[in-house]
Amino acid sequence: MSAPVVRVDNVTKRFAGHTAVDGLSLSVPPGTLYGLLGPNGAGKTTTIRMLMDIYEPDSGSIRLFDTDRGGRAHSQRIGYLPEERGLYPRMRVLDVLVFLAEAKGVARRIARVQALEWLDRLGLADWRLRRVSDLSKGMQQKVQFISTILHDPDLIVLDEPFSGLDPVNSQVLRDTVVDARRRGKTILFSTHIMEHAEKLCDQLCIIARGKKLVDGALPAVKQMHGGKHVVVAFDGSQGAAARIFADRRLVARVEDFGGGGQEAELELAPGADAQEILRALIESGARLLRFELVTPSLHKIFVDLVGPDAAKAAAVPNA
Amino acid sequence: MHKVWAVIRREFIERVRTKWFWVATLVGPLFFAAIMVIPVLMARSGGVRQIAVVDDTPNEFGTRVAEELSTGRSFRARRVEAGLGVLDSLTAAVEAKALDGFLILPSDVVETGRAEYRGSNVSSMQAVEDLQRGLNRLIVKARLEREGVNPAVVDRAQIRILLDTKKISRGRTTAESAGGSFIMAYIMAVLLFMAILLYGVNVMSSVLEEKTNRIMEVLVSSLKPFEMMLGKVLGAGSVSLLQFLIWALSARLLMSQRGALLRAMGAGGENAGGGFQMPPIPGSTIAVFLAFFLGGFLLYSAMFAAVGAMSRNEQEARQAQQPVTFVLMIAYLSIFALTNDPNSAFSRTLSMVPFTSPIAMPVRWTAGSLPLGEVLISVAILIAGIAGVTWVAARIYRVGILMTGKRPTLKELVRWVRA
Repeated sequence: MSAPVVRVDNVTKRFAGHTAVDGLSLSVPPGTLYGLLGPNGAGKTTTIRMLMDIYEPDSGSIRLFDTDRGGRAHSQRIGYLPEERGLYPRMRVLDVLVFLAEAKGVARRIARVQALEWLDRLGLADWRLRRVSDLSKGMQQKVQFISTILHDPDLIVLDEPFSGLDPVNSQVLRDTVVDARRRGKTILFSTHIMEHAEKLCDQLCIIARGKKLVDGALPAVKQMHGGKHVVVAFDGSQGAAARIFADRRLVARVEDFGGGGQEAELELAPGADAQEILRALIESGARLLRFELVTPSLHKIFVDLVGPDAAKAAAVPNA
Repeated sequence: MHKVWAVIRREFIERVRTKWFWVATLVGPLFFAAIMVIPVLMARSGGVRQIAVVDDTPNEFGTRVAEELSTGRSFRARRVEAGLGVLDSLTAAVEAKALDGFLILPSDVVETGRAEYRGSNVSSMQAVEDLQRGLNRLIVKARLEREGVNPAVVDRAQIRILLDTKKISRGRTTAESAGGSFIMAYIMAVLLFMAILLYGVNVMSSVLEEKTNRIMEVLVSSLKPFEMMLGKVLGAGSVSLLQFLIWALSARLLMSQRGALLRAMGAGGENAGGGFQMPPIPGSTIAVFLAFFLGGFLLYSAMFAAVGAMSRNEQEARQAQQPVTFVLMIAYLSIFALTNDPNSAFSRTLSMVPFTSPIAMPVRWTAGSLPLGEVLISVAILIAGIAGVTWVAARIYRVGILMTGKRPTLKELVRWVRA
């Protein structure tokens, strides 16, 4: 397997009075869409800023593209969308894009061609000579986003990319990210909204209070931390369902037994086989409408891991 | 280096595109033309003064006075016999603006030398002086003639003495006059002070703009803070040089077209009555001026960049810049001390300390003769000062640009620099 694009090794960062990131390690394999998840104040932005050479870690090491040089040295290969976004309001749209690309080390001529192409693609071609301040907020978001990916970076780092985006731009962003991933680019993004992560991520890392709680591929994390869930729906006869569900060797917990007893969600006991429950139900004479193995939502895992208080805080965007 | 170049270009182009730049660039030559033309026009204001000479002398001395005054360019005078009601009617004429004023010559004017002028405007120094000088000539002449001196001898004796001052500068006698070199030194100090302050503040607000518009984070992820600061300072610096160049060229053009300009303004022929005469500026003075302007600009704009970096908004920056502006003012306010005695211990000290030398040294250079060695030492100290100040400023800048909390205390600043 090829070396990870981003490798964070036992990194700690303290600010006056508190530890923002505490012994964090993670690695982002090439070609993945990697989610850095956590409630507000978990240390996501600090971690990303350390990747981007904005902060220096107090201890630990960061490797990008398998080198020990930081984000600034690789700026030509990295597209970074910070959480706090902004453009020069008095500059012309095209000039801003060309300048920001040049600052990353992209040749002026190439930056111009790419900028015009992207402006055209996102429907801003007619605005290229207007001042940034003449644009609507949504258009400014698009310009900001173009500046992140204009130079076709190998690694795209997005800090809370969906916060403050209108639905149209949200979709544009998602499409572009998925397209970049399809072309073999690596994307690292942070979010506190689990629904976004669940839809996009291949790999993820959940952190809270600067420490890692879990990381790995999305299915593996779900399997490890959520346990297996089965949704059962009856079509009339339930057979001996009540007895089978109470068998703690098979079922750890019955989450939901609603709908007049016609539906239930079960959490399997560790090591139990769903097929055994299915066989027992059918043998007991139950008629089944639905028997489905489901994985729990990422949100549920997140709440379980982080604790309800932190999760509640996280449910308020940008609080 | 490519990245720094991009910052320089952005800074340059965006600044040159502002209205502010073009207003300042155009106001410069206009101002220059004004100080060239206005004194001349003022001297001619209203053209020729119509005055009456009220003559009460027994030998019609007033006729000679009226003739003498009329030969100058300032007055058209006619003699009026003194008599009952003459003063009242003349006063009425002045009131009605038919007359600018009248000179009253009492019968004993030649003996006492006392006369009186009444006019609508007695504050024009030039006019009063012309009047007094003309009258003086005639009275002295009349007194001498009365003593039997040959009028031709009197005329020869009255040829005015002109004291021509020339400065000995670096072993050569230059044509510069004392007044001219003071004016030069003064203009230089004002230009240096204004330019360093204005362009320094420009750098500051440019840093502040990136902070308040939250562009800083993307920039810091691609550029080293030092590269950002360097690009900004050099970009703003090249704008100021462009502006100076435009000013210098237009000043040259205006000087060469001075005669035509004055004629066009209806102010008469060549060398018409005074006005501002630009003394010839030696190349060495221009070199000293530019060298110390660049040095001073680099020194101060690094400080202004740091001030911008540690402030959150314009108000905070205005407060935080005060100590920097104050240091710059010291040299500016010492212009008179510097020109009065360019070689005093005070002047020498100011022209060596890097914070004051950018203004003090060019002023001393213009005001008196200075050994080249002293200038070179000052330049060397200035360069060392720039290196030191830039190092400190860059460290403050590095921490400050990402800071969002309250403005740092002096103690915190020291910690930033040490970190």
